[in-house]
Amino acid sequence: MNLAYYPGCTLKNQGLGFETSALAAAQALDIEMKELDRWNCCGTVFSLADEDLMHYLAPMRNFVRVQEEGFDKVVTLCSMCYNTMKRTEQIVKDDPEKLKTINEFMYREEDYRGEVKLFHLLELFRDEIGYEEIKKRVIRPLRGLKVAPYYGCMLTRPKEIGIDDWEEPRIMEDLLSAIDAEVVKDPLRGECCGAYHTVNAKELVTERTRMIVSSAKKRGADCIMLSCPLCEFNLDLRQRDTAKEYTDFVGIPVVYFTQLLALALGLTEDVCRFDLHYIDPYPVLVEKNIIEEGEEVHGKKA
Amino acid sequence: MEKKPKTKMISVFVMGKEHKVPQGLTIMKAMEHAGYRFLRGAGCRAGFCGACGTVYRLKGDYKLHFDLACQTAAEDGMALTQLPFVPANKATYHVRLIKKEGNPILKYYPEVARCVSCNTCTKACPQELEVMDYVQAALKNDIEKAATLSFDCIQCGMCALRCPAEIVQYHVGQLVRRVHGKFVNKSKQLNKRVNEVNKGKFDTDINELMTLKHAKIKDKYSDRDIEALH
Amino acid sequence: MEFINGYPEYMRASIEKVARTRQSRVGKSFTAMTLDERKELLSKFHPDYNVKGKRSVEVGTNKGEIIINEVADLLEARPLIAKDSVDLSQIDYDVDVLVIGGGGAGTVAALWANNSGIAIDKILVTTKLRLGDSNSMMAQGGIQAADRPEDSPARHYLDTYGGGHFANKPELVERLVKEAPFIIKWHESRGVLYDRDENGDFLELSGGGTSRNRLHAAKDYTGMEILRCIRDVARNRKIPVLEFTSAVELLTDGERVTGAVLYNMETEQYYVVRAKSVVLATGGFGRLHVQNYPTTNHYGATGDGLVLAYHAGAKLRDMDTAQYHPTGAAFPEQLVGLLITEKVRGLGAQPLNIDGETFVFPLEPRDVEAASFIRECYDRKKGIETPTGMQGIWLDSPLIEIIHGEGAIEKNLGAMHRMFQRFGIDMRKDPVLVFPTLHYQNGGVEIDRDAKTSLEGLFAGGEVEGGVHGKNRLMGNSLLDYNVFGRAAGISAAEYAKKAKKGKLTLHHVAKYNDSLDKAHVEPGLKAPILLPEYRGKEALSRALEIDKVVGE
Repeated sequence: MNLAYYPGCTLKNQGLGFETSALAAAQALDIEMKELDRWNCCGTVFSLADEDLMHYLAPMRNFVRVQEEGFDKVVTLCSMCYNTMKRTEQIVKDDPEKLKTINEFMYREEDYRGEVKLFHLLELFRDEIGYEEIKKRVIRPLRGLKVAPYYGCMLTRPKEIGIDDWEEPRIMEDLLSAIDAEVVKDPLRGECCGAYHTVNAKELVTERTRMIVSSAKKRGADCIMLSCPLCEFNLDLRQRDTAKEYTDFVGIPVVYFTQLLALALGLTEDVCRFDLHYIDPYPVLVEKNIIEEGEEVHGKKA
Repeated sequence: MEKKPKTKMISVFVMGKEHKVPQGLTIMKAMEHAGYRFLRGAGCRAGFCGACGTVYRLKGDYKLHFDLACQTAAEDGMALTQLPFVPANKATYHVRLIKKEGNPILKYYPEVARCVSCNTCTKACPQELEVMDYVQAALKNDIEKAATLSFDCIQCGMCALRCPAEIVQYHVGQLVRRVHGKFVNKSKQLNKRVNEVNKGKFDTDINELMTLKHAKIKDKYSDRDIEALH
Repeated sequence: MEFINGYPEYMRASIEKVARTRQSRVGKSFTAMTLDERKELLSKFHPDYNVKGKRSVEVGTNKGEIIINEVADLLEARPLIAKDSVDLSQIDYDVDVLVIGGGGAGTVAALWANNSGIAIDKILVTTKLRLGDSNSMMAQGGIQAADRPEDSPARHYLDTYGGGHFANKPELVERLVKEAPFIIKWHESRGVLYDRDENGDFLELSGGGTSRNRLHAAKDYTGMEILRCIRDVARNRKIPVLEFTSAVELLTDGERVTGAVLYNMETEQYYVVRAKSVVLATGGFGRLHVQNYPTTNHYGATGDGLVLAYHAGAKLRDMDTAQYHPTGAAFPEQLVGLLITEKVRGLGAQPLNIDGETFVFPLEPRDVEAASFIRECYDRKKGIETPTGMQGIWLDSPLIEIIHGEGAIEKNLGAMHRMFQRFGIDMRKDPVLVFPTLHYQNGGVEIDRDAKTSLEGLFAGGEVEGGVHGKNRLMGNSLLDYNVFGRAAGISAAEYAKKAKKGKLTLHHVAKYNDSLDKAHVEPGLKAPILLPEYRGKEALSRALEIDKVVGE
């Protein structure tokens, strides 16, 4: 399967391990993802109440790039990018007037024809490869690892663009089952992590992190699995601030779905870049016999 | 040779005032012909210094165009004004202390993250650079790409004046180029040569040349082998 | 007139001849001229050898010496301000080091004065236009430094000295060539992006008169890349700069230079500056249009520094020559005089006559190359005439892509390609038309190896100073000059300022100068420095009215 790949800025900065593990896992599953030659920021999520067409320029321009390179499908990993671009895909499909207006504004570009289809990587795994197929390809089952999937807001809302049911999603749960991990169902999996409040209202995010992480831990999770670099930043790094405020708080690691999948497919740990995480996932992965102790990765011993 | 035809006169509107000037002049020379004497708004007069940024509109067109007065021919019916100054913010930094990781550009120019990819900067660039693309490259910390795409920037500042997100593209470009310059592979033979000079390796040769008699040094000069002739 | 791809129809026949002979000229070998051949050519055809172009100056330190007419006119002009027209008792700026000029040399001098221990707030840069506005910004081709194993500073010395007709001041050439590698290293450490190969070594080309490839370039924006980077360093350090403020006279205590009178060109006020030392970095004189030549120079290149220093008694040298760059644009009219960098020839473009024939080794020193173009046009009558009656020589730019491959022009000569493209000419497909254009002030205020002038407390760097290049500068030595001697001036001025006491501020030297003008019976007329050239249209000027005078007098 061959399609365009839109990375988004965060995956080139803080979320490096998300990208490397995703590309390796996709390759192992015979998905060929070609990074666009030219791409810009997705535009980052804009208000649902806001009708300012200016915000649609960035995502639209990326669709023009996909079209320019001769693709009709594009995949992305970051929940934010997915949300922003999917809403744009939707709105110009539903409203030709808006498509025309934006095209006129971008008169130096070729017209966007409104035909590109955007996927989230999880959708590709579920619908194009199939979880049965993935199950067959598992080399290193994650048996015994208890994982709490976390969706946040962006993957399933608004429901028109959600990759799964917005109240009872199971796309991550089913993936976990396919790679033989144990699903820990957490009622807070759809709560917001606090998003950009992390910049100017850190305390708010610290509190949400405490709530979400503690809930997963209380239910026995060894780690939390997610698909958004901002959620990762908040739920992982902000545990440091939570621990400062609540002395009895004990955290758990936070990982991307692509990292667990990569391990299950038998890929080496170096594609996961666990060294970039604040809470080191190694000890728990070693404890559960998923990674052998002493494997040297990125200069540190597990 | 055919006989020189009489020069056609055209109308240009400088800040709203009509002037008749001969066809075929640059905007700069047309304004001078009309009697303007520049203090601001003229610099190298050759497209390198960015002092003569000009906004103009063509007859019957609604669009504003951006170009350099010294490099653009005046046209009949053109309405124009020059931009004497751009009061844009330039960050203060020490390139020596800048690391590549963690996006140094966003640290000094956080407004880069506000880019909505409207491409207005690119449209305003008289050098026809892909300005938006280099801002986007800076945003994703692709320093080399940002440096390459911004290399021909003459820092006229018209991008920043037009940007709805208040980004100072041309200063961002300066920063990325310097950061890129810090990390490119360095020349080993240059270092070697600097050390040789410091140790006096060439002093004897140069002293000899400095004290040679006129006729002798002329001979020496004539006898040089010239690399470019080979 | 019909135009085809940017050129008038009648030029097309000649362009076709150029195209027809192109393949046969690839890899053509040339012989360089002997010194005797050069001498004959220069004496017959170079503007410097036109006896009508220069005369003996009647006043000042160099009285009786032969100087280019346009410069002599400035030196014999009345000073802009008289002894009693400014109040020197009120000091507006009291600093250690005053730098006059904000181009390459001035910016470098200010940085190195600071590096040498002068506090930022004890430095003042004053500049007629904006910081960085200068010929330094416009240099395209490159900067020389002998850093390759097959090259040496001694070789660079010999090239420079011979190119200058053995008239350079040896101690200056010595410092120039020995510090060249250090300067490149300094630039490198500040982030200047020179063209390099994948190992990090520089891609170096030849210029006219250089016997080794030693030009370091940054595409064809070399001057811009260096100066915008150095300027960024100065801006980060917050070195105080007064823009649109020119120096109109130096101040002295009779023995040494103690400050300057500045003039805010926008508000028309003057400022008095007291300084322990002064660096003169005012650049050259291209806008004087010597012998009516067009120029490649910056709008502010009016030779002000020569006038200021001369009024105060400094010695000038080599003011009998000017550099005419062989390849100024001759067509289209809008671009006439603008520089076509020597790098174009360095990359393999050949100069050709109307029949598409070569007639000179493309990389002779600039004066020789320029003289050969003039001979081809006016003596052998083989030039190409433009619609405005100008003569020109073809520079066969499409050869570059035959030699270096498709894309080489956009990659290496982006600025030039862009410039011609704006006027419908594609230099990848058609040659460009060139003719010599006034480019550089070879001589200037004489300095020693520490950039000291003959006046106590006055230092000079860059194009304003003389002695480095003798009677003709080589390509790639001007960017080097402003860095080496701008730096030397900054360091020397700092060291001097540390020891010097604050001096008395007087304009006695101006009064004395006026007296000598009276004695020499020089007609009062022109005033100098002229600050900016006059380009207003004749009709507009004929109706000009100086309201100030009408109301005030």
